[in-house]
Amino acid sequence: MSTTTRNMTLGQRFLANEWSALAVAIVIGLVTLAVLSPAFLTEFNLYVMLRSFCVVLIVAFAQMLTLAVGQMNLSVGALGGLVAITVGGMMEKWGFPVPVAILCGLAIGAAGGLINGLLTVRTGINGFIITLATASAFTGINLGITESIPFYNLPASFVAFGTGRFYALPYLLLPPVLIAIALAFFLARTVPGRQLLAVGGNPQAAELSGIPRDRVIVMAHTLSGLLAGAAAILAVAQLGSAQPTIGVDWLLMSFAAPIIGGAALTGGHISVAATALAVVLIVIIQNGMVLAKVDPYWVQFLLGALILAAVGLNRLRAVRAGGA
Amino acid sequence: MKWSLTHGFTMTHSVSSDTRGRPSFLAEQSNLIGLAAIIILFWILFTSLAPGFVSSFNLFALSRSLAVDVVIGFSTMVVLATGGMNLAIGSIGVCAVMASGYLMQTIGLPIPVAMALALLLGAFLGWLNGFVIVRSGVNSFIITLASASLFLGGMLILSKAQTFNALPPEIAAFGRMRWGFVSPLLFIALGIGAALIVLFRFTALGREILAAGANARAAELSGVPVGRAIIIAHTLSGALAASAGLMLVIRLGAAMPSIGQDWLLPSFLAPVLGGTLLAGGYVSVVGTILGAFLVTTIRSGLLVMQIGNFWLQLFLGLILLAAVMLDRYRSIYAERRSLGRKDAGRRSSGRRA
Repeated sequence: MSTTTRNMTLGQRFLANEWSALAVAIVIGLVTLAVLSPAFLTEFNLYVMLRSFCVVLIVAFAQMLTLAVGQMNLSVGALGGLVAITVGGMMEKWGFPVPVAILCGLAIGAAGGLINGLLTVRTGINGFIITLATASAFTGINLGITESIPFYNLPASFVAFGTGRFYALPYLLLPPVLIAIALAFFLARTVPGRQLLAVGGNPQAAELSGIPRDRVIVMAHTLSGLLAGAAAILAVAQLGSAQPTIGVDWLLMSFAAPIIGGAALTGGHISVAATALAVVLIVIIQNGMVLAKVDPYWVQFLLGALILAAVGLNRLRAVRAGGA
Repeated sequence: MKWSLTHGFTMTHSVSSDTRGRPSFLAEQSNLIGLAAIIILFWILFTSLAPGFVSSFNLFALSRSLAVDVVIGFSTMVVLATGGMNLAIGSIGVCAVMASGYLMQTIGLPIPVAMALALLLGAFLGWLNGFVIVRSGVNSFIITLASASLFLGGMLILSKAQTFNALPPEIAAFGRMRWGFVSPLLFIALGIGAALIVLFRFTALGREILAAGANARAAELSGVPVGRAIIIAHTLSGALAASAGLMLVIRLGAAMPSIGQDWLLPSFLAPVLGGTLLAGGYVSVVGTILGAFLVTTIRSGLLVMQIGNFWLQLFLGLILLAAVMLDRYRSIYAERRSLGRKDAGRRSSGRRA
């Protein structure tokens, strides 16, 4: 392994890297858009792009953590919607201070994830079915409480955070960046983080080496719920209102980014950097579509094509690596 | 060890090292009886709380939505048989819906021809899923997640999300037609169910699909064309999704681009409540019908009681949870009881579906 790495040129080493194709695609996209559209590199457009990056990134991380242990969380969007409206309701109806409401929202997210994890581990039923069911339950609570009516009157300071910016940098970008750094550190350097990847990579081996498998899976689900909650709070700040529909369109995106970033459904193989790059690519494509004034339906179509292309590319690389 | 089969279709256990549990004959029967008992309970409950529940109007409406739910359930069931998933059912359904609308309204094709072409389109899109899954070797979850987005996007681009609401009047007339209290659509759904029973019980193809799902390697080694079986299952799933879509066109009298977006939950609810395994290798057609019946009953009952759509999602989620957990504990209990009698060691190893 080490000798082959040493014999490769810099370019080859770059191409062997998982996210190389993503990086190339992003650069091509940026250059093309910058050349074709004068509006692309304006401060405001960059701000808009960075703003739409925030929520999607955390949603992708929420799914990534469950994928890491070979599970999935179909309830990210539903849980997000529930957290969004409870945070909105706490601030508008009950007059909670913003930090308290945010903490409560995060706690609800984590609790939802904990429920997912405990149900999956205790019953031994496939996480897909469990989270499909809890997703329906969370959505039901959301709609039952709000009857589809959003909370509009949120504290001014909270809304200001959602729209504020420093030149092209939205304040909203701060939490996702901190979360990404914390997550990368968590997965690379801490014992629970390593355990998480170990359980995903080979559950039997992990169990034999004394890692509490069930506890790690519950932890992954809890963290996933926590991140879904964080994404929801950001979405509320971004929109300036707590819409019950927050989260309904997260499912595809949540899987798309980690998978385009090379995550395997079987677990143990995820990358914070690659997932983040995948989100960048998705955001660039969406922005390009808007600038080109293409039918918005093309976004849906292209996202599907992008997932297939990424999966095909990864497959090709795996086959080649196997043959070499 | 061979199990005689009545309602369920299990591959004979030639591969005994496979520890994934498949329900025994008794467990299978008790599952169906349990499900039927729950349905009866809900009927008694709803009838006593809201007399409107058994009005002929409501029974008719219930039969129409039951027909659609049953076929949606079948569409997922045939893919679950191979141990795969099809998340693109709603997207395939709506593609068929819009194609039929276009063919009837814009092109002016006769109804049967348009419907047949729409079914073919559904089968083709399903075939495409299966082909890509088998050729790439990538998990069906990812492929169908991506293709769901691709199909839906393609449909929206082509149709510009316009509803076709000037369909031939015969369509809506057929939708309003009653045979007694029920819609003929229900009989079509049950007819499809009968065909599926024949497929899985009496044909080599059905057995191949189940064998591919039970243990793909073993099936491959014993000469089953696993790839072909998976592709056929997906093709069938696509055709069934298209049929469900066309039933909705008949019910609504229009081809709407919003059809299919809420199919994911019911498509899994019906087969899973009915005892079909996610792991593959086992399906229950009768169970899927009963599962769909339970879902439709609850939905209709809550509507009649005017609890409304808002809390419905919560109830469906909780019921799915309760049902799968109940099933889990019952099978563990049944296993413990049977341990003393037969092959204790083999089946006691922990199972995680």
